[in-house]
Amino acid sequence: MNNPYYPIDTVLEDVITETPTIKTFCLKPVRPVRFKSGQFMQLTVPGVGEAPFTPSSDPNIAEKMEITILKTGKVTDALHELGPGAKLGLRGPFGKGYPLEKLEGKEVVVVGGGVGLAPMRSLLYGLFDDPSKYKRISIKFGAREPAELCFRGQYNEWVNLSENIDLTTTIDVPHPEWDGKVGLVTTLLDDLDINITDSYALSCGPEIMLKFVTLKLLEVGYKPPQIYLSMNRKMSCGMGKCGRCNVGHYYLCVDGPDMCYDKIKHVPNVFG
Amino acid sequence: MIRIEKERIDEFIRALMETWSVYAPARDGKNTLFAPVEDPAGIDHGIFNTDKSPKEIFFPHSEVLFEFEGGEIKKVERDARPIAVWGLRGCDARSLRLLDKVFGSAWQKPDNDMFEDPYWKEKYDDSIIFGTACNEPRSTCFCNWFGAGPHDGAGMDVKVVDTGEAFILDPVSEKGKKYIGSLKGWAEATKKDVTKMKAAAKEADKAMGEVFGMDGIQEKMADLFLKPVWNDIGAKCVNCGACAFICSTCHCFDVQDEGKKGKKGKRIRIWDTCMFPIFTMEASGHNPRDMSKDRLRQRFMHKFSYFINNYDEHLCTGCGRCVIVCPVNLDIREVVREVMACEA
Repeated sequence: MNNPYYPIDTVLEDVITETPTIKTFCLKPVRPVRFKSGQFMQLTVPGVGEAPFTPSSDPNIAEKMEITILKTGKVTDALHELGPGAKLGLRGPFGKGYPLEKLEGKEVVVVGGGVGLAPMRSLLYGLFDDPSKYKRISIKFGAREPAELCFRGQYNEWVNLSENIDLTTTIDVPHPEWDGKVGLVTTLLDDLDINITDSYALSCGPEIMLKFVTLKLLEVGYKPPQIYLSMNRKMSCGMGKCGRCNVGHYYLCVDGPDMCYDKIKHVPNVFG
Repeated sequence: MIRIEKERIDEFIRALMETWSVYAPARDGKNTLFAPVEDPAGIDHGIFNTDKSPKEIFFPHSEVLFEFEGGEIKKVERDARPIAVWGLRGCDARSLRLLDKVFGSAWQKPDNDMFEDPYWKEKYDDSIIFGTACNEPRSTCFCNWFGAGPHDGAGMDVKVVDTGEAFILDPVSEKGKKYIGSLKGWAEATKKDVTKMKAAAKEADKAMGEVFGMDGIQEKMADLFLKPVWNDIGAKCVNCGACAFICSTCHCFDVQDEGKKGKKGKRIRIWDTCMFPIFTMEASGHNPRDMSKDRLRQRFMHKFSYFINNYDEHLCTGCGRCVIVCPVNLDIREVVREVMACEA
């Protein structure tokens, strides 16, 4: 029997500094790891522990994987100190992933905040595989300050891929080096030129952001079945057993982490 | 059904020890627990439901998942003999069955993405459970709330009834029937034994408290999620987690590494509980179950609402351990009654 607790040996091939606190770790597992956008991995730093992360790389590439990580805790602190050649471990993928098939023919709005842009990039790569399958791909990214906007160097490349792709960004508070939009990411949803009845919105970010993005989406006319949220919480096992990530009777690790809001809207403290 | 005179019970256990790794109730200082049997003469057959639950036989408090050295993962070898448990009570036998739904193969459906847990399966799947019927239930016992009773054999392979002068072994499962059928040199239970068993079961049933109707608790709990009843109950709870650690069905855990970064070490699975604030505290500092009452509510919701959604049963078998051990006398039965009496 396969042991789902055993990590696959993985070598850290490269580290890309994205922002002062966020790095992308380019990983090469000894055997290919196939995953769907939105599914997550447990990444091991031997002797330190493991923690759950959603890859930020193209789901069509199984031989290598990129994970974009904010330095914020025990495992991530240790990761941020590592350089190429370090031995790591990967187990997974876990969870269901984004429902790409449902998005076909629709106007897709992708809302990301802070390090929540990382899983969204994997979703975007999935969508960019054949942008003509979707009526529109509208990307809304927000961060606290310009330096924290992940993957900024790639934005032009993305919108140039196809005519139906657009991207807007905002930062929370004014900054001397920023002449773009200022305000929380929800402000990008104020004047949507989207046919909402024919649209899906997917969002990833801190829970407080997800809460206000959801409220805004509902306000502008989205119905709960049209909203998908990446609900990422502390998860030790990834297999619906360890008991941490319960939201109502769901285990986010198995039933999510990308949950249709319609499924969880009845849970009174859904955003913690 | 076979009959084992009490003076010959060591002989029976010794035979069992030839092929099985046998666990039985034992004393550890002031506490009672299940321990590996080294000498059958040392088994205290008089111990009622042990202080510590027997879940740790199959789901140890701390279990090494693997060891690593450099980049190599090393499997941890364990005693290859199958496990036999002697003297398990009905509530605990049913608790193991509930845990088997979570960790084992008992709840596999075509579309539910269940992961089987190899560490549980390698111990539980080949085990044999000799359960002892309870002739004298405690005031804290409430297995009858969950459709069981002190002489119920569910979850056991063989039910053992103490008739005073003998143990009567009544096979319940196919595995139990096969084992009992394979034995030689033991007399069949007599008509008198059967009469005594029936009388003991009747007496035991009488000693149980009144059954409390649990119908509708799943929906009721969900409806009451935001009601002040949880503040009232939560005000008493000190979040010590004793209830969860002593519980025969609580199974939350954490996965931790021990050792030197990048060099040599172990990955360990260790019991954890939703009662502790750090259980759900995220690296950012955000905690979805920030307040004491949130955590207490989670434990009860898991037992009496979520688990029914996911596994079609209550995650409680009425063993009463938490009632005994709670330092602030929070009685799970009172909590259920209080919640059920609330207006939604």
